[in-house]
Amino acid sequence: MATHMSRCRTWSRLERFGIAAYRKYSSGGGYPNVHLSTPLPGIPKPVFASVDGQEKYETKITTLENGLKVASQNKFGQFCTVGVLINSGSRHEAKYPSGISHFLEKLAFSSTAQYGSKDEILLTLEKHGGICDCQTSRDTTMYAVSAEVKGLETVVSLLSDAVLQPRLLDEEVEMTRMAVRFELEDLNMRPDPEPLLTEMIHAAAYRGNTVGLPRFCPADNVDKIDKKVLHGYLCNYYCPERMVLAGVGVEHEQLLECARKYLLDAKPVWGASRPDNVDLSVAQYTGGIVKMEKDMSDVSLGPTPIPELTHIMIGLESCSFLEEDFIPFAVLNMMMGGGGSFSAGGPGKGMFTRLYLNVLNRHHWMYNATSYHHSYEDSGLLCIHASADPRQVREMVEIITREFIQMGGSAGEMELERAKTQLKSMLMMNLESRPVIFEDVGRQVLATGKRKLPHELCDLISSVTASDIKRVTTKMLRSKPAVAALGDLTELPTYEHIQAALSSKDGRLPRIYRLFR
Amino acid sequence: MAASLQRLTSAGRSLLQRQLVKTRYVNRLPVGPRRLLATPAAHHVVLNVPETKVTTLENGLRVASEDSGLTTCTVGLWIDAGSRYENERNNGTAHFLEHMAFKGTRKRSQLDLELEIENIGAHLNAYTSREQTVYYAKAFSKDLPRAVEILADIIQNSTLGEAEIERERGVILREMQEVETNLQEVVFDYLHATAYQSTALGRTILGPTENIKTINRGDLVEYITTHYKGPRIVLAAAGGVCHQELISLAKYHFGRLPSRDQGGAPALPPCHFTGSEIRVRDDKMPLAHIAIAVEAVGWSHPDTLPLMVANTLIGNWDRSFGGGVNLSSKLAQMACQGNLCHSFQSFNTCYTDTGLWGLYMVCEPGTINDMMHFTQMEWMSLCTSVTESEVARAKNLLKTNMLLHLDGSTPICEDIGRQMLCYSRRIPLHELEARIDAIDAHTIKEVCTKYIYNRAPAIAAVGPIEQLPDYNQIRSGMFWMRS
Repeated sequence: MATHMSRCRTWSRLERFGIAAYRKYSSGGGYPNVHLSTPLPGIPKPVFASVDGQEKYETKITTLENGLKVASQNKFGQFCTVGVLINSGSRHEAKYPSGISHFLEKLAFSSTAQYGSKDEILLTLEKHGGICDCQTSRDTTMYAVSAEVKGLETVVSLLSDAVLQPRLLDEEVEMTRMAVRFELEDLNMRPDPEPLLTEMIHAAAYRGNTVGLPRFCPADNVDKIDKKVLHGYLCNYYCPERMVLAGVGVEHEQLLECARKYLLDAKPVWGASRPDNVDLSVAQYTGGIVKMEKDMSDVSLGPTPIPELTHIMIGLESCSFLEEDFIPFAVLNMMMGGGGSFSAGGPGKGMFTRLYLNVLNRHHWMYNATSYHHSYEDSGLLCIHASADPRQVREMVEIITREFIQMGGSAGEMELERAKTQLKSMLMMNLESRPVIFEDVGRQVLATGKRKLPHELCDLISSVTASDIKRVTTKMLRSKPAVAALGDLTELPTYEHIQAALSSKDGRLPRIYRLFR
Repeated sequence: MAASLQRLTSAGRSLLQRQLVKTRYVNRLPVGPRRLLATPAAHHVVLNVPETKVTTLENGLRVASEDSGLTTCTVGLWIDAGSRYENERNNGTAHFLEHMAFKGTRKRSQLDLELEIENIGAHLNAYTSREQTVYYAKAFSKDLPRAVEILADIIQNSTLGEAEIERERGVILREMQEVETNLQEVVFDYLHATAYQSTALGRTILGPTENIKTINRGDLVEYITTHYKGPRIVLAAAGGVCHQELISLAKYHFGRLPSRDQGGAPALPPCHFTGSEIRVRDDKMPLAHIAIAVEAVGWSHPDTLPLMVANTLIGNWDRSFGGGVNLSSKLAQMACQGNLCHSFQSFNTCYTDTGLWGLYMVCEPGTINDMMHFTQMEWMSLCTSVTESEVARAKNLLKTNMLLHLDGSTPICEDIGRQMLCYSRRIPLHELEARIDAIDAHTIKEVCTKYIYNRAPAIAAVGPIEQLPDYNQIRSGMFWMRS
């Protein structure tokens, strides 16, 4: 190799531009010794596809006799993403030990009636160039496969099996317990507190109900969840009326045919479904505070220290994604923007959003200020995450409450236009990717039975005005705050004070007069 | 609706990509377009992907694009210049320059540039690696002309003002701190430092603190005049882009870039691989981070693809996957059953004429020895006893991962830009497929024996690593005694 390498060095420039050495393997093996910069001899000439104009595909939706919806969207390319979305997530676990959805996510695509093991499933998919994944959120569970279009039938049959016929063997459940425990451990160890804070603020905003229930399995429940508990849950929620089979990059008729064949008469392994036992509670926004005192003085996993930070998240009730106000809220969220005081990325990351201009650029001691919008079928939460040194928590809280109050002022024309353009570009750029289109089609059809197309959403965004922003903010500011706080909380103002600040005119915390401060 | 409209749709983005965890260092696969079985008998194959059109301008600048008719696009400059062309004194210049690109030009101030980009909903980004510097923009397709004009402006007309340079020093030093909290980056920098000791590839991209404090305007200007020349630049685009339009934009905005270098391009400094190790023991850290690698080959070497298949055979694993993800990897099964580590990633980092093939692992202190043992055992079985069925599976998996990665205008544009620099062409999918198909167990054994068997590895280890066997013991695990 040494001689070979040195030759490479001398000739490297030449080789890069196409002079390749031909060398026969002594073994006469079939592998061609042709540099990758040189076309392989004897390769057939390709005929490429060409695009005529922009993609104008529509979403087609059909409801089967058993209530299952089939939704599809065509897309250019050799691959498709197909999956089953189920109206089931941690918000439905009120009558069960929390953590079932988390378990189901980890157990997905394990052995089924047809397939003896996860390995068999993966092997089958690999033959069609496919991979599979399952993700759960507070309200939805998605089982999805990306594979070559010609493997569609196998994929749908496999999905049906994975969703309705899992064996849930003891050793698989045991393995899942371990994986869940590891994930919980990692969650607490990770320097990035965002998942933990999101969990906490949901618990504060919707105390003990629906989307406020824990998304991650609580450590105490890990041993409680077994096949019996899972079956008890599945027979309520995994029924065809609560499911959508969505496909992107497929012909609707073909998908429909596969759905009829594999999902219409499929009998789930847990017997008849009992949808009567479904939890139909509507999210009750309560507001409130969830605190976690934690020593954050040494969160670094390595020798380089990470400064000690206290994290807070303050949220107010926004609206459900079914309401018209959802779009103004999405624009407002974009207008607030923000990010880390030190974040990678050049212009385009939202440098002129309010949390950058008013917070991070003015108060250099703040490490982070980011706006998030979580929206569900019956409620929503607009929140701001901020972090700073524990000694400056009070000041930080006040800066954030003042930003909330200022949302109710009038939005400038420039910043509003910018936020709308950025929201549209974010939407269109996210929808470049097939799995994202899949998720968008599936979630919309699951929630509303139809799909708003990207250009319709863009039109809605374009028509948002400053008075819309003002209107939704005014409504939002009437709700009780939800607060999550993590780290050293000695300087954290009381919940009542935060609430007072958010109902004041200027967002200031009530003054405390103490002689020895 | 909710999913695609909420900021940071992390769920959607990571969906189905979770297993393809990639970082700056873990090799990006050189990917062609989508998959179709090539039938040797046919003279033509029909591919359901748009063609990558390539045009070379008079000054040598190459324009390459693929039009998929989207309403958004990615366009960028891939430049054959990175930290490898630096010396001990100016190490860090390429990266410093990348930072200065967004700090204002003769036409627009920094504020103008930022406002312009933000107002049209575009994104501007840049990164520097050891061999490439990349500037790219994402925008609505209708804004393509503006995006190209801005890219042309920032690489040709940057003011490189003294005040901005001074300010940027602080930012880069802060970035350095940030990089140091990412242990994977730290370990890979150490790995390069030992594997390519006293050569250009051994230095970091950011450069040492001393250089960051002293690099001056002259260094930056010199770097531009030496390296930013027509033949070494590729203008790549994907998404909704018209090749003809891109060509005229390129001619207009880049036509005046210098063409052929006087006396040819600067020579690529030779980078010799040294089997060696670097250990940074710190018992206060909870986990050990270790990388071990042998010298592999450059981008365009024929053995690259078999080494990538070998890579896939070793695989990746993370303990939160649980059992039974990545079952095609025996090492993953062993790691899972024996609780040997928190995660591992097989990598194959390529440069022009050399590369690093190896494994990165994160372990509890007590399992290092076992994990290292099983890793080397798997490496040895690649060289001696890998089976046809294992190889067939890894080939399939490699093709799938490559193809599914090409989703959206940015990954496709990156692929075009990188391939144009590495291969001077974009390898058509069916050719890539034919090349992978030609690999069998025999090829894997032969290639692995050539690069792995009885080779001295480079090792970088950070953390509570008391249990890491000494170098000679690890070295003796690189062969099997056979009678």
